Amino acid sequence: MNLKKIYKYGSPPNFYRFAMKLEPWCLSLGLFLTAIGSIGGLFIAPKDYQMGDAFRIIYFHVPSAYLSMSAYAAMGIASIIGIVWRSNVAFAVAKSIAPFGALMTAVALITGMLWGKPMWGTAWVWDARLTSEFILLLLYFGYIALHATIKEQKRADRAASLLAILGIVNLPIIHYSVVWWNTLHQASTISKLDSPSIVGEMLWPLLLMIIGYMIFFIGVICRGGSAEVLMREKRSNWVKEV
Amino acid sequence: MNIYFQLFSREIRVAFKRWTDALTGFILFFLIAILFPLISDSNKEFLLTIVGPIMMFSAFFASMLSMQNMFKPDFQNGTIEQLMLSKGSFVSLILTKTIAYWLFTSLPLILISGLTASIYFVSASGILIIQLTLLLSTLTMVHINAFTAAITLGIRYPGALMTLIITPITLPILIFGSKTIENSILGADISGPLYFLTGMMMLSFFLGPWITASALKISMD
Repeated sequence: MNLKKIYKYGSPPNFYRFAMKLEPWCLSLGLFLTAIGSIGGLFIAPKDYQMGDAFRIIYFHVPSAYLSMSAYAAMGIASIIGIVWRSNVAFAVAKSIAPFGALMTAVALITGMLWGKPMWGTAWVWDARLTSEFILLLLYFGYIALHATIKEQKRADRAASLLAILGIVNLPIIHYSVVWWNTLHQASTISKLDSPSIVGEMLWPLLLMIIGYMIFFIGVICRGGSAEVLMREKRSNWVKEV
Repeated sequence: MNIYFQLFSREIRVAFKRWTDALTGFILFFLIAILFPLISDSNKEFLLTIVGPIMMFSAFFASMLSMQNMFKPDFQNGTIEQLMLSKGSFVSLILTKTIAYWLFTSLPLILISGLTASIYFVSASGILIIQLTLLLSTLTMVHINAFTAAITLGIRYPGALMTLIITPITLPILIFGSKTIENSILGADISGPLYFLTGMMMLSFFLGPWITASALKISMD
Protein backbone atom coordinates (compact mmCIF):
# COMPACT_ATOMS: atom_id res chain seq x y z
CA MET A 1 0.00 0.00 0.00
CA ASN A 2 1.24 3.43 -0.83
CA LEU A 3 1.34 5.34 2.45
CA LYS A 4 2.52 8.54 0.81
CA LYS A 5 -0.88 9.04 -0.76
CA ILE A 6 -2.50 8.82 2.65
CA TYR A 7 0.07 11.12 4.22
CA LYS A 8 -0.81 13.67 1.58
CA TYR A 9 -4.27 14.09 3.11
CA GLY A 10 -2.73 14.66 6.51
CA SER A 11 -1.69 18.12 5.44
CA PRO A 12 -4.47 20.63 6.14
CA PRO A 13 -4.70 22.31 2.70
CA ASN A 14 -4.86 18.98 0.89
CA PHE A 15 -7.43 17.66 3.30
CA TYR A 16 -9.47 20.83 2.93
CA ARG A 17 -9.55 20.65 -0.86
CA PHE A 18 -10.32 16.94 -0.83
CA ALA A 19 -13.10 17.34 1.74
CA MET A 20 -14.66 20.26 -0.09
CA LYS A 21 -14.70 18.21 -3.29
CA LEU A 22 -16.20 15.19 -1.56
CA GLU A 23 -18.73 17.01 0.60
CA PRO A 24 -21.49 18.03 -1.87
CA TRP A 25 -21.44 14.58 -3.48
CA CYS A 26 -21.77 12.79 -0.16
CA LEU A 27 -24.44 15.10 1.20
CA SER A 28 -26.60 14.93 -1.92
CA LEU A 29 -26.16 11.19 -2.47
CA GLY A 30 -26.88 10.54 1.21
CA LEU A 31 -30.01 12.71 1.14
CA PHE A 32 -31.15 11.03 -2.07
CA LEU A 33 -30.72 7.51 -0.70
CA THR A 34 -32.39 8.44 2.58
CA ALA A 35 -35.31 9.96 0.70
CA ILE A 36 -35.83 6.84 -1.42
CA GLY A 37 -35.37 4.68 1.65
CA SER A 38 -37.97 6.58 3.65
CA ILE A 39 -40.48 6.52 0.81
CA GLY A 40 -39.90 2.80 0.43
CA GLY A 41 -40.07 2.23 4.15
CA LEU A 42 -43.03 4.43 4.97
CA PHE A 43 -45.29 3.75 1.97
CA ILE A 44 -44.21 0.74 -0.04
CA ALA A 45 -43.10 -1.83 2.53
CA PRO A 46 -45.91 -4.09 3.79
CA LYS A 47 -47.29 -3.94 7.30
CA ASP A 48 -45.71 -6.11 9.93
CA TYR A 49 -48.10 -8.87 10.92
CA GLN A 50 -47.49 -8.36 14.64
CA MET A 51 -46.64 -4.71 15.01
CA GLY A 52 -48.73 -3.20 12.21
CA ASP A 53 -47.62 0.18 11.02
CA ALA A 54 -45.69 0.96 14.17
CA PHE A 55 -42.73 -1.08 13.00
CA ARG A 56 -41.93 1.56 10.39
CA ILE A 57 -39.94 3.51 12.96
CA ILE A 58 -37.29 0.85 12.40
CA TYR A 59 -36.25 2.79 9.30
CA PHE A 60 -35.00 5.59 11.50
CA HIS A 61 -34.11 3.67 14.63
CA VAL A 62 -31.75 1.08 13.20
CA PRO A 63 -29.64 3.37 10.96
CA SER A 64 -29.10 5.87 13.76
CA ALA A 65 -28.21 3.10 16.20
CA TYR A 66 -25.72 1.68 13.68
CA LEU A 67 -24.26 5.08 13.10
CA SER A 68 -24.01 5.97 16.77
CA MET A 69 -21.62 3.08 17.30
CA SER A 70 -19.66 3.34 14.07
CA ALA A 71 -19.26 7.07 14.65
CA TYR A 72 -17.67 6.30 18.00
CA ALA A 73 -15.37 3.81 16.33
CA ALA A 74 -14.47 6.39 13.70
CA MET A 75 -13.81 8.94 16.43
CA GLY A 76 -11.58 6.49 18.26
CA ILE A 77 -9.59 5.65 15.12
CA ALA A 78 -9.17 9.33 14.29
CA SER A 79 -7.99 9.90 17.87
CA ILE A 80 -5.43 7.10 17.62
CA ILE A 81 -4.13 8.53 14.35
CA GLY A 82 -4.02 11.95 15.92
CA ILE A 83 -2.07 10.79 18.96
CA VAL A 84 0.35 8.57 17.06
CA TRP A 85 1.16 10.91 14.17
CA ARG A 86 0.30 14.18 15.95
CA SER A 87 -1.96 14.97 13.05
CA ASN A 88 -3.98 18.12 13.43
CA VAL A 89 -6.40 17.01 10.73
CA ALA A 90 -7.21 13.80 12.58
CA PHE A 91 -7.93 15.75 15.76
CA ALA A 92 -10.19 18.11 13.82
CA VAL A 93 -12.06 15.16 12.31
CA ALA A 94 -12.46 13.47 15.69
CA LYS A 95 -13.77 16.66 17.22
CA SER A 96 -16.29 17.17 14.42
CA ILE A 97 -17.57 13.60 14.72
CA ALA A 98 -18.44 13.90 18.41
CA PRO A 99 -21.56 16.13 18.28
CA PHE A 100 -22.98 14.21 15.32
CA GLY A 101 -22.41 10.89 17.05
CA ALA A 102 -24.05 12.17 20.21
CA LEU A 103 -27.01 13.36 18.13
CA MET A 104 -27.34 9.94 16.48
CA THR A 105 -27.22 8.24 19.87
CA ALA A 106 -29.92 10.54 21.16
CA VAL A 107 -32.06 9.88 18.07
CA ALA A 108 -31.62 6.13 18.48
CA LEU A 109 -32.64 6.37 22.13
CA ILE A 110 -35.67 8.57 21.47
CA THR A 111 -37.00 6.56 18.53
CA GLY A 112 -36.40 3.42 20.56
CA MET A 113 -38.47 4.85 23.40
CA LEU A 114 -41.24 5.87 21.01
CA TRP A 115 -41.20 2.38 19.56
CA GLY A 116 -41.03 0.68 22.92
CA LYS A 117 -44.03 2.48 24.36
CA PRO A 118 -46.69 0.77 22.18
CA MET A 119 -44.77 -2.51 21.73
CA TRP A 120 -43.46 -3.37 25.16
CA GLY A 121 -45.80 -1.16 27.14
CA THR A 122 -43.01 0.93 28.61
CA ALA A 123 -40.71 3.51 27.11
CA TRP A 124 -37.71 2.38 29.06
CA VAL A 125 -36.52 -0.96 30.35
CA TRP A 126 -33.21 -1.73 31.95
CA ASP A 127 -32.25 -3.83 29.01
CA ALA A 128 -28.73 -4.43 27.80
CA ARG A 129 -28.80 -2.55 24.54
CA LEU A 130 -30.72 0.41 25.86
CA THR A 131 -28.35 0.72 28.74
CA SER A 132 -25.21 0.46 26.66
CA GLU A 133 -26.62 2.97 24.19
CA PHE A 134 -27.21 5.33 27.09
CA ILE A 135 -23.67 4.78 28.35
CA LEU A 136 -22.46 5.54 24.83
CA LEU A 137 -24.26 8.87 25.07
CA LEU A 138 -22.45 9.55 28.36
CA LEU A 139 -19.12 8.72 26.70
CA TYR A 140 -19.84 11.22 23.92
CA PHE A 141 -20.80 13.85 26.47
CA GLY A 142 -17.60 13.17 28.40
CA TYR A 143 -15.54 13.68 25.25
CA ILE A 144 -17.34 16.87 24.27
CA ALA A 145 -17.25 18.29 27.80
CA LEU A 146 -13.56 17.51 28.28
CA HIS A 147 -12.72 19.06 24.94
CA ALA A 148 -14.74 22.15 25.72
CA THR A 149 -13.39 22.62 29.23
CA ILE A 150 -9.68 22.63 28.45
CA LYS A 151 -8.85 26.04 27.04
CA GLU A 152 -5.64 25.27 25.23
CA GLN A 153 -6.31 23.69 21.84
CA LYS A 154 -3.50 21.14 21.67
CA ARG A 155 -3.91 19.91 25.20
CA ALA A 156 -7.68 19.61 24.75
CA ASP A 157 -7.18 17.57 21.59
CA ARG A 158 -4.80 15.11 23.14
CA ALA A 159 -6.64 14.73 26.44
CA ALA A 160 -10.00 14.17 24.75
CA SER A 161 -8.43 11.73 22.30
CA LEU A 162 -6.97 9.73 25.15
CA LEU A 163 -10.46 9.54 26.62
CA ALA A 164 -11.90 8.42 23.28
CA ILE A 165 -9.28 5.65 23.01
CA LEU A 166 -10.03 4.49 26.54
CA GLY A 167 -13.71 4.49 25.59
CA ILE A 168 -12.97 2.28 22.57
CA VAL A 169 -11.17 -0.22 24.80
CA ASN A 170 -13.92 -0.07 27.35
CA LEU A 171 -16.99 -0.10 25.11
CA PRO A 172 -16.99 -3.88 24.44
CA ILE A 173 -16.52 -4.51 28.17
CA ILE A 174 -19.44 -2.25 29.02
CA HIS A 175 -21.54 -3.82 26.31
CA TYR A 176 -20.97 -7.40 27.39
CA SER A 177 -21.28 -6.59 31.05
CA VAL A 178 -24.78 -5.30 30.46
CA VAL A 179 -25.62 -8.04 27.96
CA TRP A 180 -25.20 -10.64 30.69
CA TRP A 181 -28.28 -9.36 32.41
CA ASN A 182 -31.52 -10.65 31.05
CA THR A 183 -32.46 -9.02 27.81
CA LEU A 184 -35.83 -7.93 26.46
CA HIS A 185 -34.67 -6.27 23.26
CA GLN A 186 -35.45 -8.28 20.14
CA ALA A 187 -32.47 -9.95 18.52
CA SER A 188 -30.98 -7.85 15.77
CA THR A 189 -32.72 -8.30 12.47
CA ILE A 190 -30.03 -8.05 9.84
CA SER A 191 -26.75 -8.77 11.56
CA LYS A 192 -27.10 -12.40 10.54
CA LEU A 193 -25.94 -11.74 7.02
CA ASP A 194 -26.66 -15.16 5.57
CA SER A 195 -30.33 -15.48 6.47
CA PRO A 196 -31.95 -12.21 7.49
CA SER A 197 -35.14 -12.65 9.50
CA ILE A 198 -36.91 -9.95 7.51
CA VAL A 199 -38.58 -10.13 4.11
CA GLY A 200 -37.02 -8.52 1.07
CA GLU A 201 -39.66 -5.85 0.65
CA MET A 202 -39.02 -4.60 4.15
CA LEU A 203 -35.26 -5.08 3.89
CA TRP A 204 -34.27 -2.97 0.90
CA PRO A 205 -35.51 0.35 2.27
CA LEU A 206 -33.71 -0.38 5.52
CA LEU A 207 -30.43 -1.12 3.77
CA LEU A 208 -30.87 2.02 1.67
CA MET A 209 -31.46 4.02 4.83
CA ILE A 210 -28.35 2.62 6.50
CA ILE A 211 -26.14 3.27 3.48
CA GLY A 212 -27.69 6.69 3.01
CA TYR A 213 -27.04 7.60 6.65
CA MET A 214 -23.45 6.42 6.35
CA ILE A 215 -22.76 8.48 3.22
CA PHE A 216 -24.47 11.49 4.70
CA PHE A 217 -22.32 11.03 7.79
CA ILE A 218 -19.15 11.10 5.68
CA GLY A 219 -20.39 14.32 4.12
CA VAL A 220 -21.05 15.83 7.53
CA ILE A 221 -17.54 14.88 8.69
CA CYS A 222 -16.07 16.49 5.58
CA ARG A 223 -17.97 19.67 6.28
CA GLY A 224 -17.31 19.78 10.02
CA GLY A 225 -13.71 18.68 9.68
CA SER A 226 -12.85 21.20 7.00
CA ALA A 227 -14.52 24.00 8.96
CA GLU A 228 -12.52 22.96 12.02
CA VAL A 229 -9.30 22.86 10.00
CA LEU A 230 -10.01 26.35 8.68
CA MET A 231 -10.58 27.62 12.23
CA ARG A 232 -7.31 26.15 13.42
CA GLU A 233 -5.21 27.31 10.53
CA LYS A 234 -6.74 30.75 10.25
CA ARG A 235 -3.37 32.48 10.46
CA SER A 236 -1.68 30.47 7.70
CA ASN A 237 -1.28 31.62 4.13
CA TRP A 238 -3.32 29.02 2.35
CA VAL A 239 -6.45 29.92 4.29
CA LYS A 240 -6.13 33.52 3.19
CA GLU A 241 -6.09 32.30 -0.40
CA VAL A 242 -9.25 30.24 0.01
CA MET B 1 17.78 3.26 48.65
CA ASN B 2 15.53 2.29 45.80
CA ILE B 3 13.74 5.24 44.18
CA TYR B 4 10.37 3.48 44.15
CA PHE B 5 10.62 2.67 47.83
CA GLN B 6 11.61 6.26 48.55
CA LEU B 7 8.60 7.56 46.67
CA PHE B 8 6.37 5.07 48.45
CA SER B 9 7.48 6.08 51.92
CA ARG B 10 7.23 9.73 50.96
CA GLU B 11 3.64 9.20 49.78
CA ILE B 12 2.75 7.49 53.04
CA ARG B 13 4.24 10.29 55.10
CA VAL B 14 2.42 12.93 53.06
CA ALA B 15 -0.81 10.97 53.35
CA PHE B 16 -0.54 10.97 57.14
CA LYS B 17 -0.15 14.74 57.02
CA ARG B 18 -3.28 15.03 54.86
CA TRP B 19 -5.30 12.50 56.79
CA THR B 20 -8.56 14.44 56.33
CA ASP B 21 -8.69 13.37 52.67
CA ALA B 22 -8.80 9.72 53.55
CA LEU B 23 -11.11 10.29 56.48
CA THR B 24 -13.75 12.04 54.33
CA GLY B 25 -14.12 9.02 52.08
CA PHE B 26 -14.11 6.69 55.03
CA ILE B 27 -16.90 8.58 56.80
CA LEU B 28 -18.94 8.82 53.60
CA PHE B 29 -18.64 5.07 53.03
CA PHE B 30 -19.74 4.33 56.57
CA LEU B 31 -22.60 6.85 56.59
CA ILE B 32 -24.15 5.72 53.30
CA ALA B 33 -24.16 2.14 54.54
CA ILE B 34 -25.71 3.09 57.87
CA LEU B 35 -28.28 5.51 56.52
CA PHE B 36 -29.85 3.09 54.09
CA PRO B 37 -31.45 0.77 56.65
CA LEU B 38 -32.55 3.83 58.62
CA ILE B 39 -34.39 5.61 55.85
CA SER B 40 -35.74 2.57 54.04
CA ASP B 41 -37.15 -0.73 55.20
CA SER B 42 -35.06 -2.49 57.82
CA ASN B 43 -36.27 -6.06 57.56
CA LYS B 44 -33.68 -8.73 56.99
CA GLU B 45 -34.65 -10.04 53.55
CA PHE B 46 -34.81 -6.58 52.02
CA LEU B 47 -31.44 -5.59 53.44
CA LEU B 48 -29.84 -8.77 52.17
CA THR B 49 -31.05 -8.08 48.64
CA ILE B 50 -29.66 -4.54 48.55
CA VAL B 51 -26.39 -5.03 50.39
CA GLY B 52 -24.39 -5.72 47.20
CA PRO B 53 -25.36 -2.56 45.32
CA ILE B 54 -25.03 -0.47 48.49
CA MET B 55 -21.50 -1.68 49.15
CA MET B 56 -20.33 -1.05 45.59
CA PHE B 57 -22.14 2.27 45.42
CA SER B 58 -20.70 3.63 48.65
CA ALA B 59 -17.20 2.44 47.76
CA PHE B 60 -17.53 4.13 44.37
CA PHE B 61 -18.62 7.43 45.93
CA ALA B 62 -16.05 7.33 48.68
CA SER B 63 -13.23 6.79 46.18
CA MET B 64 -14.60 9.53 43.95
CA LEU B 65 -14.73 12.03 46.78
CA SER B 66 -11.07 11.74 47.71
CA MET B 67 -9.65 11.44 44.23
CA GLN B 68 -9.63 15.14 43.35
CA ASN B 69 -6.59 15.51 45.57
CA MET B 70 -4.74 12.58 44.06
CA PHE B 71 -2.35 14.59 41.88
CA LYS B 72 -3.40 18.18 42.46
CA PRO B 73 -1.15 19.14 45.43
CA ASP B 74 1.83 17.36 43.89
CA PHE B 75 1.10 19.02 40.58
CA GLN B 76 1.02 22.46 42.17
CA ASN B 77 4.20 22.06 44.20
CA GLY B 78 6.11 20.54 41.30
CA THR B 79 6.56 16.99 42.56
CA ILE B 80 5.05 15.47 39.42
CA GLU B 81 7.50 17.40 37.29
CA GLN B 82 10.39 16.11 39.37
CA LEU B 83 9.09 12.56 39.03
CA MET B 84 8.96 12.99 35.30
CA LEU B 85 12.57 14.16 35.24
CA SER B 86 13.86 11.51 37.62
CA LYS B 87 15.80 8.54 36.37
CA GLY B 88 13.20 5.92 37.30
CA SER B 89 10.53 4.92 34.82
CA PHE B 90 7.68 7.40 35.03
CA VAL B 91 5.05 4.71 34.50
CA SER B 92 6.36 2.63 37.42
CA LEU B 93 6.56 5.72 39.61
CA ILE B 94 2.92 6.43 38.85
CA LEU B 95 2.08 2.83 39.70
CA THR B 96 3.86 3.22 43.04
CA LYS B 97 1.98 6.41 43.74
CA THR B 98 -1.34 4.81 42.83
CA ILE B 99 -0.76 1.85 45.13
CA ALA B 100 0.25 4.12 48.02
CA TYR B 101 -2.89 6.12 47.39
CA TRP B 102 -5.00 2.97 47.34
CA LEU B 103 -3.51 1.85 50.68
CA PHE B 104 -4.58 5.06 52.30
CA THR B 105 -8.02 5.61 50.82
CA SER B 106 -9.43 2.18 49.98
CA LEU B 107 -7.90 -0.27 52.43
CA PRO B 108 -9.71 1.34 55.41
CA LEU B 109 -13.00 0.91 53.52
CA ILE B 110 -12.34 -2.80 53.09
CA LEU B 111 -11.51 -3.15 56.78
CA ILE B 112 -14.62 -1.32 57.95
CA SER B 113 -16.86 -3.10 55.41
CA GLY B 114 -16.97 -6.13 57.72
CA LEU B 115 -18.72 -4.01 60.30
CA THR B 116 -21.10 -2.33 57.85
CA ALA B 117 -21.98 -5.65 56.23
CA SER B 118 -22.92 -7.11 59.59
CA ILE B 119 -25.46 -4.28 59.96
CA TYR B 120 -27.12 -5.85 56.91
CA PHE B 121 -27.25 -9.29 58.60
CA VAL B 122 -24.67 -10.79 56.25
CA SER B 123 -23.20 -14.04 57.49
CA ALA B 124 -19.50 -14.45 58.30
CA SER B 125 -18.63 -16.19 55.03
CA GLY B 126 -20.63 -13.56 53.14
CA ILE B 127 -18.57 -10.84 54.80
CA LEU B 128 -15.38 -12.43 53.50
CA ILE B 129 -16.81 -12.47 49.98
CA ILE B 130 -17.80 -8.81 50.30
CA GLN B 131 -14.30 -7.91 51.40
CA LEU B 132 -12.75 -9.87 48.56
CA THR B 133 -15.07 -8.18 46.07
CA LEU B 134 -14.25 -4.75 47.46
CA LEU B 135 -10.54 -5.57 47.35
CA LEU B 136 -10.67 -6.50 43.67
CA SER B 137 -12.96 -3.68 42.64
CA THR B 138 -11.20 -0.89 44.52
CA LEU B 139 -7.89 -2.02 43.05
CA THR B 140 -9.49 -1.54 39.62
CA MET B 141 -11.26 1.68 40.47
CA VAL B 142 -8.13 3.34 41.80
CA HIS B 143 -6.57 3.16 38.34
CA ILE B 144 -9.65 4.65 36.71
CA ASN B 145 -9.69 7.38 39.33
CA ALA B 146 -6.01 8.05 38.74
CA PHE B 147 -6.60 8.42 35.01
CA THR B 148 -9.54 10.76 35.53
CA ALA B 149 -7.70 12.85 38.10
CA ALA B 150 -4.71 13.08 35.76
CA ILE B 151 -6.65 14.10 32.69
CA THR B 152 -8.67 16.79 34.47
CA LEU B 153 -5.63 18.20 36.25
CA GLY B 154 -5.46 21.53 34.48
CA ILE B 155 -9.14 22.30 34.92
CA ARG B 156 -10.21 24.60 37.69
CA TYR B 157 -13.55 23.09 38.75
CA PRO B 158 -13.42 19.50 37.49
CA GLY B 159 -16.13 18.01 39.72
CA ALA B 160 -19.00 17.48 37.28
CA LEU B 161 -16.70 16.57 34.41
CA MET B 162 -14.95 13.95 36.54
CA THR B 163 -18.26 12.32 37.35
CA LEU B 164 -19.22 12.27 33.68
CA ILE B 165 -15.93 10.66 32.68
CA ILE B 166 -15.70 8.19 35.51
CA THR B 167 -19.23 6.76 35.57
CA PRO B 168 -19.32 4.92 32.22
CA ILE B 169 -15.85 3.48 32.72
CA THR B 170 -16.54 2.20 36.21
CA LEU B 171 -19.96 0.76 35.40
CA PRO B 172 -18.85 -2.83 34.55
CA ILE B 173 -17.04 -3.12 37.87
CA LEU B 174 -20.09 -1.94 39.79
CA ILE B 175 -22.31 -4.41 37.94
CA PHE B 176 -20.08 -7.40 38.48
CA GLY B 177 -19.16 -6.46 42.02
CA SER B 178 -22.76 -6.34 43.16
CA LYS B 179 -23.47 -9.48 41.14
CA THR B 180 -20.76 -11.33 43.09
CA ILE B 181 -22.15 -10.25 46.45
CA GLU B 182 -25.71 -11.02 45.38
CA ASN B 183 -24.73 -14.51 44.19
CA SER B 184 -22.87 -15.27 47.38
CA ILE B 185 -25.88 -14.28 49.48
CA LEU B 186 -28.25 -16.33 47.34
CA GLY B 187 -25.87 -19.28 47.65
CA ALA B 188 -25.23 -19.35 43.90
CA ASP B 189 -21.94 -19.82 42.12
CA ILE B 190 -19.76 -16.72 42.41
CA SER B 191 -16.83 -17.81 40.28
CA GLY B 192 -18.08 -16.17 37.04
CA PRO B 193 -18.34 -12.54 38.18
CA LEU B 194 -15.33 -13.00 40.45
CA TYR B 195 -13.17 -14.07 37.52
CA PHE B 196 -14.43 -11.10 35.59
CA LEU B 197 -13.47 -8.74 38.42
CA THR B 198 -10.05 -10.34 38.64
CA GLY B 199 -9.59 -9.99 34.90
CA MET B 200 -10.57 -6.33 35.05
CA MET B 201 -8.08 -5.82 37.86
CA MET B 202 -5.27 -7.39 35.83
CA LEU B 203 -6.19 -5.32 32.80
CA SER B 204 -6.27 -2.11 34.80
CA PHE B 205 -2.90 -2.85 36.41
CA PHE B 206 -1.47 -3.44 32.97
CA LEU B 207 -3.04 -0.47 31.15
CA GLY B 208 -3.83 1.97 33.95
CA PRO B 209 -0.37 3.33 34.79
CA TRP B 210 0.45 3.81 31.10
CA ILE B 211 -2.68 5.77 30.39
CA THR B 212 -2.37 7.77 33.59
CA ALA B 213 1.25 8.61 32.82
CA SER B 214 0.42 9.80 29.32
CA ALA B 215 -2.55 11.80 30.66
CA LEU B 216 -0.20 13.47 33.15
CA LYS B 217 2.24 14.25 30.36
CA ILE B 218 -0.56 15.86 28.38
CA SER B 219 -1.63 17.89 31.39
CA MET B 220 1.93 19.04 32.02
CA ASP B 221 2.64 20.69 28.69
